[in-house]
Amino acid sequence: MSVEPAPRRERVTGEPRRVRPLPRYRAQSEIDEQTALGGAYVRSLIRSQLRAGLTAFAFLALLAGTLPLAFAALRSATAVWLVLGFGAYPLLTLIAWWYVRRAERNERDFARLVEGRPAP
Amino acid sequence: MSQTYAVVAVTVVVLATVLIGGFGLRISRTTSDFYVASRTVGPRLNAAAISGEYLSAASFLGIAGLVLVHGPDMLWYPVGYTAGYLVLLLFVAAPLRRSGAYTLPDFAEGRLESQAVRRLVSVFVIGAGWLYLVPQLQGAGLTLAILTGAPDWLGPAVVATVVVLAVAAGGMRSITFVQAFQYWLKLTALLVPALFLVLAWQDDGRPSVPAGFPAGVPALSIANSLGRADHPLYATYGLIVATFLGTMGLPHVVVRFYTSPDGRSARRTTVVVLALIGGFYLLPPVYGALGRLYASELSLTGDADATVLLLPDRMIGGVGGDLLGALVAGGAFAAFLSTASGLTMAVAGVLTQESRGVRHFRLATLLAMAIPLAGALLTTGVPVADAVGMAFAVSASSFCPLLVLGIWWRRLTPPGAVAGLLLGGGSALIAVSVTMSGAVPPGWPHTLLAWPAVWSVPVGFLAMVLVSLATPARIPPGTHAAMTRFHLPEALR
Amino acid sequence: MSGEAAAALIVLGPLLLAGGFVLGRRTRPTRTSDVGTPVERATFETLHTASLAAPPLRAGLTEESARKAARRLRTLLGTDALCLTDGEKVLAWDGTGDHHSGQLMDQVAGLLDTGRDKAFPTACDDLDCPLRWAVAVPLTVDHRVLGSLVAYAPRESAVLARAAGEVARWVSVQLELAELDRSRTQLIEAEIKALRAQISPHFIFNSLAAIASFVRTDPERARELLLEFADFTRYSFRRRGDFTTLADELHSIDQYLALVRARFGARLTVTLQVAPEVLPVALPFLCLQPLVENAVKHGLEGAVTRSRITISALDAGAEAEVVIEDDGTGMDPERLRSILRGEGGDSSGIGLLNVDERLRQVYGDAYGLVIDTGAGAGMKVTVRIPKYRAGVHGS
Repeated sequence: MSVEPAPRRERVTGEPRRVRPLPRYRAQSEIDEQTALGGAYVRSLIRSQLRAGLTAFAFLALLAGTLPLAFAALRSATAVWLVLGFGAYPLLTLIAWWYVRRAERNERDFARLVEGRPAP
Repeated sequence: MSQTYAVVAVTVVVLATVLIGGFGLRISRTTSDFYVASRTVGPRLNAAAISGEYLSAASFLGIAGLVLVHGPDMLWYPVGYTAGYLVLLLFVAAPLRRSGAYTLPDFAEGRLESQAVRRLVSVFVIGAGWLYLVPQLQGAGLTLAILTGAPDWLGPAVVATVVVLAVAAGGMRSITFVQAFQYWLKLTALLVPALFLVLAWQDDGRPSVPAGFPAGVPALSIANSLGRADHPLYATYGLIVATFLGTMGLPHVVVRFYTSPDGRSARRTTVVVLALIGGFYLLPPVYGALGRLYASELSLTGDADATVLLLPDRMIGGVGGDLLGALVAGGAFAAFLSTASGLTMAVAGVLTQESRGVRHFRLATLLAMAIPLAGALLTTGVPVADAVGMAFAVSASSFCPLLVLGIWWRRLTPPGAVAGLLLGGGSALIAVSVTMSGAVPPGWPHTLLAWPAVWSVPVGFLAMVLVSLATPARIPPGTHAAMTRFHLPEALR
Repeated sequence: MSGEAAAALIVLGPLLLAGGFVLGRRTRPTRTSDVGTPVERATFETLHTASLAAPPLRAGLTEESARKAARRLRTLLGTDALCLTDGEKVLAWDGTGDHHSGQLMDQVAGLLDTGRDKAFPTACDDLDCPLRWAVAVPLTVDHRVLGSLVAYAPRESAVLARAAGEVARWVSVQLELAELDRSRTQLIEAEIKALRAQISPHFIFNSLAAIASFVRTDPERARELLLEFADFTRYSFRRRGDFTTLADELHSIDQYLALVRARFGARLTVTLQVAPEVLPVALPFLCLQPLVENAVKHGLEGAVTRSRITISALDAGAEAEVVIEDDGTGMDPERLRSILRGEGGDSSGIGLLNVDERLRQVYGDAYGLVIDTGAGAGMKVTVRIPKYRAGVHGS
């Protein structure tokens, strides 16, 4: 038996307080404050990004929409094996790669457009 | 086949999962390597983790089984699973990360400022997660039964117990490394045997794959032949729409994006994910094709899903076949474990968030796993394996409109979102449930209900748009701020 | 068999074409020409037009100078209408739709006060009027708003907004040159004015003293420490009330500990365990650093000669759990309770109280500090941070 008991810990928490609600989006207030002008800038960015996404998606939809018909018309198992088993994946990655480049370029262009904007 | 090797392989995978989960933390004992520990996850590690979590039992076993039974048309499944990530990249990846949301309910609340929408989305997320968990557990049951002759309930019980225990013991303190490890394990477990199998096929004089369609229904293979035979072209389009648009809403997919440090790296991560899962999906068709040659009778016995597991023994045999078979079994278990643990964590995350009082994540984990486990045990024999396809269709008709419109359309309102979720997701859910109950006569009604995505996705979008336009006064005041946050590049924050 | 191969080619053909299309789109022809590219020609035209607008503006902002300049400036921007105003009235309107000039001064009133760009729809009743949207930019000299430049367009355009801003700045420079004799540019005010110290003067003094002690013996180390110190203070001096990410906060803690170790060397051992998936979690700025500071203080206080601090940040589903534990002197639980009630305490207690209050304020009462301690028993502080909370976004 030890002469001096090892010091024990006790759990302590503060008492509940009435919670004051946090104002929404405080960190974003500066962007919020840009009002109509800030909105015009942001909308132009959103439009350009949406255009990039839709372009790539249209391409994908075209392929996915026509391939089943083509397969049904051809009735060739080899074609299906080749296209779906091997060809599709590099193409999907290629589209993704193109989109990312385009989206990042849009963001760079937007940053250039906005930088040097007179400080509010 | 020797049971010992397979049991050892499965045990090793389970142990490695638990150990890496426990030691996957970055530990530094001096302040000098503090920086390394406080560095966020890079795109490549994160992409491997996302892929590891995504490649489930349906990918590892199901595709080869489907190809064995139904032929190469079934290759639309892996293409759809991959293309789903492309669509996710195009419309969701970067804005979702920038929204700061951890789960889909978070996203709904942050964008629409409505607790009602949040709760509804939570219900859908939990439902979709459970639907997706059931086939993972059943796949584990099938694997163990085939390899060791164990009873059907053992596999689900093992996976459920490992996942729950690992989380409960605090063993999954860091899941990124586990999932990344499991991606590479799964790839190896399919690639190495595939090489040997192809060599064996060449030795055999390279017989060509028969193009005929043997009859039979695989048990695990997702969304089986229900309605396919009637109108295969329509079924293919239903499959394309569901997988292309459904991926973005799967609960375990969404939470993974939180780990990316910012929107730009979320995008780059997704490209790497596409390459990784695309590379993986080159392999299951090989098994499917060889299965048509060497194990075609599996489609008759209803064990088509076991193709991947049985081929090494069939084609190579001996100790070599046993060892390769054990490697595949280990990979299959990695597939069940990674997807199941990812889903369990995601569902438990939503459960804890919904009842803010629940302080014990472990309790939520138990609940998140108990219900699908019960589902897997009770519904053996019923084609519940359709649940994966069902989860995709429901996700595509509910979460896809919510995410796409929420991110790109400023006039979305809470009533619109609720209407879209209920009409789109709800109708898809009902359609597939009715089909599974077997009460629908064959022909067009059956096909339409078995493959709902073609009509339920437009219904979801339309309902969301029309009701939103009808309730312009309900546009959330913070819409502009939220949209700005979603799209503004990090450099300008 | 050859039939099947042909079929495969027919199907693959569109795929290859499509791939080629994607690749072809990427590689833009970059022409070089001795007579100038289109971009260069556009630049020349812009510079020429600008040079024509400059002389009138050098006479200051009057009706006559504005009229002459407005014509050139409108060409420069390529808009349907352009207007220049001073503080009270419209000076010149160039282009169509001058029926808008009547209401213009009301529309730019706010801008003349604040000097902030403004965009607004024209809300024109005339359906044939092409002017649907306008951007107004202040013309400033010496931080005073002299007037405004307003550009009109058929639809909103971020490009026009930016271009109008640039032109207005160029005009402002011309006006500034005109006023050069009368006005003097003011000195740029020091930014330090706005900085508020979050860290104790003691810490700054001790750190600098420690760094100074290395200057002769180990200048390279002293230099590194000085950089750490600069980084740390830069982070700590950021605007308050903001949010940060766990990665940034931990990085700052690392710099803090490097400075502490410069003083105490081997007496302090720190172990860090981080689950990488919680690093992007957003949390209130400087809410962990005071806890670490506290742990250091307790660890090195009194008779304790060596101290070990463990900091862990673990993934717990929808939350991150951060634990900071030391084996130092600890604290009497009763005293800690009264500190957390806000009933006074030493500086370290104030730090705990401050963090506890901010966490409860941001995340609710369920997320206050949980502290396990006893006199002589060390201290373990647990912080739980939700991965998502509306309104909390790390920057």
